[in-house]
Amino acid sequence: MAGTQETHDQVAEITGDYKYGFVTDVDMDMAPKGLSEDIVRFISAKKEEPEWLLDWRLKAYRAWLKMEEPDWAKVSYPKIDYNDIYYYAAPKSQDKPKSLDEVDPELLRTYEKLGIPLAEQEVLAGVEGARKIAVDAVFDSVSVATTFREELKKAGVVFMSISEAVHEHPELVQKYLGTVVPQRDNYFAALNCAVFSDGTFVYIPKGVRCPMELSTYFRINAENTGQFERTLIVADEGSYVSYLEGCTAPMRDENQLHAAVVELVALDDAEIKYSTVQNWYPGDKDGKGGIYNFVTKRALCKGKNSKVSWTQVETGSAVTWKYPSCVLAGEGSVGEFYSVAVTNNLQQADTGTKMIHMAPGTRSTIISKGISAGRSQNSYRGLVKVLSGAENVRNYTQCDSLLVSSESGAHTVPYIEVKNPTAQIEHEATTSKISEDQMFYCRARGLDEEEAVAMIVNGFCKEVMQHLPMEFAVEAQKLLGISLEGSVG
Amino acid sequence: MPDTVIDSYKDQMERLAGSLPGWDSARAHAFDRLKNVGLPTTRSEDWRYSDIKSLRKVAFDPMQAPEATPDVPAALSDVAARLVFINGQYQEDLSDLGDLWQAASVRPLANHLMANTDRVTELNQGGDGVNLLNTALMRDGFVLSIPAGVEIDDPVEILHISSGANNAAAHIRHLVEMGEGASATVLERFVGDDSSYWVNSFLQARVTEGATLNHIRLQEEGPNATHTATAVVSVGAGGNYHATNISLGGLLSRFEARVRLLVDEANATVDGVALAGTGESHDMLVHVDHRMPNTTSDQIFRTVADARGKSSFQGKVTVAVGAQQVNADQSFKALLLDRTAEANAKPELEIFADDVKCSHGATVGELDDKALFYLTSRGIDPTTARQMLVEAFTDDAFDRTGSESLAEAIRSRVANWMLGHTVKEKVADD
Repeated sequence: MAGTQETHDQVAEITGDYKYGFVTDVDMDMAPKGLSEDIVRFISAKKEEPEWLLDWRLKAYRAWLKMEEPDWAKVSYPKIDYNDIYYYAAPKSQDKPKSLDEVDPELLRTYEKLGIPLAEQEVLAGVEGARKIAVDAVFDSVSVATTFREELKKAGVVFMSISEAVHEHPELVQKYLGTVVPQRDNYFAALNCAVFSDGTFVYIPKGVRCPMELSTYFRINAENTGQFERTLIVADEGSYVSYLEGCTAPMRDENQLHAAVVELVALDDAEIKYSTVQNWYPGDKDGKGGIYNFVTKRALCKGKNSKVSWTQVETGSAVTWKYPSCVLAGEGSVGEFYSVAVTNNLQQADTGTKMIHMAPGTRSTIISKGISAGRSQNSYRGLVKVLSGAENVRNYTQCDSLLVSSESGAHTVPYIEVKNPTAQIEHEATTSKISEDQMFYCRARGLDEEEAVAMIVNGFCKEVMQHLPMEFAVEAQKLLGISLEGSVG
Repeated sequence: MPDTVIDSYKDQMERLAGSLPGWDSARAHAFDRLKNVGLPTTRSEDWRYSDIKSLRKVAFDPMQAPEATPDVPAALSDVAARLVFINGQYQEDLSDLGDLWQAASVRPLANHLMANTDRVTELNQGGDGVNLLNTALMRDGFVLSIPAGVEIDDPVEILHISSGANNAAAHIRHLVEMGEGASATVLERFVGDDSSYWVNSFLQARVTEGATLNHIRLQEEGPNATHTATAVVSVGAGGNYHATNISLGGLLSRFEARVRLLVDEANATVDGVALAGTGESHDMLVHVDHRMPNTTSDQIFRTVADARGKSSFQGKVTVAVGAQQVNADQSFKALLLDRTAEANAKPELEIFADDVKCSHGATVGELDDKALFYLTSRGIDPTTARQMLVEAFTDDAFDRTGSESLAEAIRSRVANWMLGHTVKEKVADD
């Protein structure tokens, strides 16, 4: 059976621990540790930002000072000392590299090791017929390279780091920045607004179907740094884009903070497909180290019949706090959320989505699969809200939890708030473990316990995995296997 | 909460000194805690769908005996005993203990505490601000103890009547103890006139090994009433607790059941129906805590909301570490009859064991046009058709009342509500 063999091979390929845990030795340009207005000014000056953006940052910083860290999520972690973090770390380079040849070879080797092709010809030299993927590579606080820019430019697509976009397309950035996630939205979003260092900006013009997948690869490298990237994607009328996001970090004993903000705007008839494979370092078996992943992701379906689809595979991070959401403001707009969250050892994940139905005829689908192993805690937290003016809203939610160990926890906290009678809202949730029958069946066919678990888990997640682009689906399946390693027996 | 509100509750509490033997220090302690936490606001997760602003703004006086004795409604079915409270005070002359006193112990709280001063600690003294206020200000209630092995067939009805009690409150406390293998049905019924009163009821039940308690609550308060109720129940090995809550009246009502399944094979079913008429808000919360392996629970909730009506449900199932082989199901369905109606649901699972089967389902929607068309095409007039559909919708939640005659009485009340509150208006609209 091909399927079995495939799973078998993937499991066999698993070598063990987190394989992206190496450190790259490059000269770094760092801001002094700690957070103050001066640091905010420093970051802004480093990026040679216009006055309005500095003011915007300072406003966010002042708001952040007055805000309190949220404590409602089912996660616990020692108090973060926000003054013990480097807010800016960039690989030292003479000048902004004009081509890939000028990029520090050490960096290129890093991305090579991570399996991210930064050299365009490499992609072309790959398997015949392979799809092209344009990559924006973010290393600590800055974007180090963006590929396929010329080709994308021909199609009119803007794909660059957000700090470049501030200079090259200020009108677009100023128009949309902070419109989906305002500065005061929440504690971590406010922090991000104040100190965001880099990230990706995408603009797809009217009627354009982006000719290739766009991707950003985030890498935290430096010690004691926080990564605060900001992504803004605007899909103009009738356009389409598929965007992928991947991330890794070295293995360190200290926890590192990652507080990103992602804003998506879809105008009339536009569609954005946003896929994430989150594989930050999860900490070791005893819960030492790992990334705190406190992310605000939100999409505004502004236009009629626009569509945003979030797909996420969450396997990494020590603590995850993340709720990719859709504000369905355009008539007939569609929001989708497909999620797999795997936690093992002492990982904690509190993740889910919000679907805010503001306009008539809006629809949303939520499929969430949580897998808890080891001594981890895995929570789904979601909100489906229908406002009174939104007629004929449709929502379907399914959240299933699979418990792989007797010491782990699986929690489901869905909120349903409906103010319009024409809405049709359905919610289903189940919690169960891998049945002995399933295990017996697999074992009887010669799979060992770990292989059997990986296979059953992949089956459990299939509804979500099929929404990932091909390349990501394969990687995600492997990741599931790695994340669950050591959780059986 | 303004200090004046707190202070006047302190005065009220001090006036109650000595009224319940051994209870004074519990009152004082609860009052101190209340001073810190205050009455709940919508910022508190458990109260996010019930806004009791009016209770926080002004202090409610203690309810006094009404000038004239109000009408006492007839019992809904044959009863084993009937305990009648008017404005929060037990009415011996209106009550009928039947033969119950021969088989079980049934006596007012004051007598119970007098006879067993050491049992003060058995009474719950914790909870949220509303519970603390109950502890601080409770005046009356009943203690029902069914001895081991005794089975009481007919329901024991506790009827609460509120009358002429503008801006006044009654804080009532009942205690139900089920001996090993005992079984009984307790019906709590609340009625009232159109004054703006507040009933704050608290029922504690202990269901020991192999015992069964059917707990039915029929809330038919007056149109301006506020009704807050809490049931705290513990269930022992092989014990069964079946609750059915019906929220029909009041301007704002909230019922919270906290059930702990403490020993193997304990079982709980908590069902409820809320019918939110014009401008009403009904909130139901359940927390079933599976502490031990092999425990089971099931919840069925159905709500219907009319113009500006709001129905809310928060159901939480917790499975403790090591509580394997637990089965827990939960079903919530809400029906909205008007475009200004609102439904909220939060079905929550919190699970710390792996060998469990837990599920929940929730739906929100309006009456199915196809079903309506089907019925009318078979010659049933639209009014009756709507009524039938809504009745069928709520019916699942009445299956476990343990008393067919009571279930019938409840069904007819639901049908009446439909007729009075919604069906006529809807037909007029068409």
